[in-house]
Amino acid sequence: MRQVAFYGKGGIGKSTTQQNTAAALASLGNSLMVVGCDPKADCTRLLLRGKRQPSVLDALRDSPDDIQLAQVISEGYGHVKCVESGGPEPGVGCGGRGVITAIQTLEKLGAYENDLDYVFYDVLGDVVCGGFAMPIREGYAEEIYIVCSGEYMALFAANNISKGIRKFAERGYARLGGLVCNSRMVENEAEMVKEFARRLNTQMIHFIPRSRDVQRAEINKKTVIDYDSELPQANEYVLLATKIEENDQFTIPTPMNQDELEELMRDYGIID
Amino acid sequence: MSGCFRCNLTIPERQSHIAVKKGGKCARSDGSAEFIESNTRTTPGDMTERGCTYAGCRGVVGGPVKDVIQLTHGPVGCAFFSWGYRPHVADTDFHMKYTFISDMNETNIVFGGEKRLLQSIVEAAQEFPDAQGVFVYNTCSTALIGDDGRDVAKQAEALIGKPVVFFECEGFRGVSQSAGHHVGNETIFKHLVGSEEPVGDTSTAINIIGDYNIKNDLRTFEPLFEELGVRILTRFTGNVSVNDLKSMHRARLNVVHCQRSATYIAEMMHDKYGTPYIDVTLFGIQAMSAALRKVAAFFGLEAKAEEIIARELGRMQSQLDYYRHRLSGKRIFIYQGAPRAWHWIEMFRELGMETIAAATTFGHQDDYEKIFERIQEGGLVIDNPNVLELEEVLETYKPDLFVSGNKEKYVAYKLGVPFVNGHTYDTGPYAGFSGMLNFARDIDRALTSPVWKLLHTNARPVPEQLHALSDAT
Repeated sequence: MRQVAFYGKGGIGKSTTQQNTAAALASLGNSLMVVGCDPKADCTRLLLRGKRQPSVLDALRDSPDDIQLAQVISEGYGHVKCVESGGPEPGVGCGGRGVITAIQTLEKLGAYENDLDYVFYDVLGDVVCGGFAMPIREGYAEEIYIVCSGEYMALFAANNISKGIRKFAERGYARLGGLVCNSRMVENEAEMVKEFARRLNTQMIHFIPRSRDVQRAEINKKTVIDYDSELPQANEYVLLATKIEENDQFTIPTPMNQDELEELMRDYGIID
Repeated sequence: MSGCFRCNLTIPERQSHIAVKKGGKCARSDGSAEFIESNTRTTPGDMTERGCTYAGCRGVVGGPVKDVIQLTHGPVGCAFFSWGYRPHVADTDFHMKYTFISDMNETNIVFGGEKRLLQSIVEAAQEFPDAQGVFVYNTCSTALIGDDGRDVAKQAEALIGKPVVFFECEGFRGVSQSAGHHVGNETIFKHLVGSEEPVGDTSTAINIIGDYNIKNDLRTFEPLFEELGVRILTRFTGNVSVNDLKSMHRARLNVVHCQRSATYIAEMMHDKYGTPYIDVTLFGIQAMSAALRKVAAFFGLEAKAEEIIARELGRMQSQLDYYRHRLSGKRIFIYQGAPRAWHWIEMFRELGMETIAAATTFGHQDDYEKIFERIQEGGLVIDNPNVLELEEVLETYKPDLFVSGNKEKYVAYKLGVPFVNGHTYDTGPYAGFSGMLNFARDIDRALTSPVWKLLHTNARPVPEQLHALSDAT
């Protein structure tokens, strides 16, 4: 079983990429579970074709002593098992603690005991506290992919996330598997992200071109492959899935300081 | 006495917290010329006996208020360990009988505890309609998740029509419970003091500041002040109602007893209302007499004070002589929270006893200055001692009596050292003139208990049929 975590700046297309990749891996014959680690509980919507299910924390709140795995796991496209950790409304409680509680509950309920090829963790944008690093603690995800684009803020976030990963990687487990560039049609984008990846001591594992088909599929509450597997964009996700399957480049990242990051942006012509 | 401890070989940082009085001055055991170190973070590895900010606020300052619902916002364990261990008695049936908790569990932490807190306050207020307000104490977990307790208190106040006071006394703030005393003082001052006018004449009104009415201490000296001709407006915070706190700003004089946990409010009242304050000790003959004289001098009631003092001393003289005769020459080790370690040195001297060592859990520099002023030459002084140090003092210096609290009681007993509970008293009250005789009686009882003679005899021999068993092991 490979446990994989997806991180990246909020709004970069992390959940979309994650679900499309999961769907592609499923179409290649893998059995998967996706654990959404975002209080908004929107990490499995496309896989579940818009079906809403109670999150682990909702179930825990309603029946703390009598929670069943079946209550919180639904099968989506390609028999992907979908779970949302859930969490508090914005501005109250502790979302970070929520992630910890949810993952521990899943473990206790035996969610990991099935024959799974992959477990995906989809984690909210910024690793603001210990709770959101839970998926990359020992015993959980060993493989991390950062979704980014060629925009400054996306790279800035990716660099920050790398700092968190390095901390855990140095303890001997989680490794960075690469950057997934979800194109925003920025000039020199692929070159810049490739160079950024090189400096981070990792790779750009795949460059996903921008396509309106992703939006179309989303409006229909589906992943691209589920919406129309003949679309060229569906093939991009299959390519990414294949690269992940075959990936053997797992590294401890070497995050840059702010000056180095800005210099990189200047060299590639984004900041004058 | 050298102040060097075997148990501190591996933790030399402790030496700056241990000193001896030499040539009338503080001589630190690390050789430094600086004053004894205090009120700093506990050194890792030092098994401190300190409490937390929440304990200081809930347990010491807020807890004694007798007619409010005492509600902790946090997990259930925080409630029990804050309740019932200090006998700050009062004259209402409600007081100390109940403790309240919002009982935060895992999902409350994740989803936030504000609604649950509001519900708890309203429910408690409905169940106990006679309560005059609600004191809410914040704990570590609810502070970390950022529950806005202040706002909840405001909402609750509007719903129940009584004051709801929120204390930001999260356990992790500060270096000891001392920070909690400060939070308690500031919060009560800010939210309650001055919000209501007192009834009646306040021209001779005083507040007793920093007396928590442990086992009815107030009863020993209140009648004396009243006889003197002053009115005691508010006791901060022993046997006190929330309304007393609201109107305490009209006192002409603040009389401060515990100068560690309550000088804060005396100073705030001085700054805002111009109320002067005096420091007093209400234990022992000289100190209690001096307190009466100081208050009398402020109001021009000196003659009455002398009359009361003469009468009280006359009344207790024969018993005092009796105990002085029995206790004379005994050597004492005192370990208290802070002020009682220096309050009592002089009182013990009046009973013919010497303090050979004094220690406090959370004393600040001013507490230690007073200890060094009062303790005998060669006396040992320890800041924030741990159990190993306490054992070593008891074993090495062999005091005749150890005066400390519940945590140390059994250490003393196991080492065969007579013990009196100074924190919560054996059979108090201990304050005032009459309390001093109670204290002397308890000391005498501890020292002369027949149990000490039995301690050194051999245990019963092992029965024969068990010999084989003990040989095998």
